[in-house]
Amino acid sequence: MIDLIIFLSLVALGYGVGTYVEKRHYRRIKAREQATLKLAITTTKHINYPVEDIQSVALVTGSAVISVDYFKRLLASLRNIFGGNVKSYESLIDRARREALLRMKEMAPQAHMIVNVRIETSTVGRKANKKGVGCLEALAYGTAVTLKGHA
Amino acid sequence: MKYTPRLPETNDNVSPSSPLKELAVLAGGLLAIIVGIYLVLGVAVDLIVPRLSPGLERRLAKPFLSTVTDIDDAADSTQESVQAILDRLQKECAELPFPLQVHVKSSETINALAFPGGHIIIFQGLLDEVTSENELAFVLAHEMGHYANRDHLRGIGRALVFITVSTLTLGPDSPVAKVLGSALNLTEMRFSRAQENRADTFGLEALQCLYGHVGGSTDFFNKIPADQDPGRFGHYFASHPENRRRIAHLEELARSKGYPSEATLPFPSTD
Repeated sequence: MIDLIIFLSLVALGYGVGTYVEKRHYRRIKAREQATLKLAITTTKHINYPVEDIQSVALVTGSAVISVDYFKRLLASLRNIFGGNVKSYESLIDRARREALLRMKEMAPQAHMIVNVRIETSTVGRKANKKGVGCLEALAYGTAVTLKGHA
Repeated sequence: MKYTPRLPETNDNVSPSSPLKELAVLAGGLLAIIVGIYLVLGVAVDLIVPRLSPGLERRLAKPFLSTVTDIDDAADSTQESVQAILDRLQKECAELPFPLQVHVKSSETINALAFPGGHIIIFQGLLDEVTSENELAFVLAHEMGHYANRDHLRGIGRALVFITVSTLTLGPDSPVAKVLGSALNLTEMRFSRAQENRADTFGLEALQCLYGHVGGSTDFFNKIPADQDPGRFGHYFASHPENRRRIAHLEELARSKGYPSEATLPFPSTD
């Protein structure tokens, strides 16, 4: 009986606190995306500017680690039985990737563009090697290019 | 290429969903499936159990015996005298397809257990409370009744299938499986009221057959005074409305069948 009570409290905690934290994170992500909109990020490998116009290039990275709460885990394990979209993890991955991209942008705020951007996602934490998901880590990296003048 | 600084209007990476509604639907569906399996199992077990052979029952019994083998056996003479009563019951009054064996364990617990495979465990505590041979014969015959009706197999059958299904679908470490496992406690093996009634009836008939009367059949239930803690004495004694009902059932059965009640034989003392 006590196991059931602990289980239900964890689920309720996961739902309550998890939903609040997620909404707050999304608000901040949207605000920062709006602020860094001028800085272009693209996955193209080549820059169309002549070498004389380039002032500097640098490797920039951004990473974010988001953890799974008990409620999302419960929904995912139920989905594992029945099949279908695991919607509870979708927002998790979305937040992690957008946060990683934002941190990458914030590493070179004076750059004009970031090219050759790649995103990698992996799981960390105590369940990383088993079937559960402990924490989700997203890494975004690219080349920040600063041009001479106002180009 | 021209870069236009603009954010996407919709976020297509996240499906709009109501997590609580999703949880309700999925958990409710799973619960309905489990209840459905439970009901189907009940029907299936009732169909299959009477057809299980005693040989198969003995093989299934092995893992359960290990839970009591770490308690010491009582003296051989005690074991022999109890086994003698059991053998007489089997030979003269109740032909069961396999031989029953009694093990007397030297523990203070006042209880007797029927294990699958024909093993009856009686605790020394119970033997100490017994004052007549008839009482002991009734206890043994009651347990034999459980065997005759294959009662213990029904409980095990359902629990085994449940735990197998949950282990296959959820994995052995799932908290849901643990809750399920503790809810179906295999080693407890409680019998339903109907099963106890049938075993009581069997015990009464066997007593009448062996001694020619049913004196002593209800003595056991009356032994413990009302203010004692019922839990200590196992499923035999709690002076418990359940046992008063069983006494009434036995007395009524004896009356309706016209079984007489005469003096009882003393049980040889064990010290």
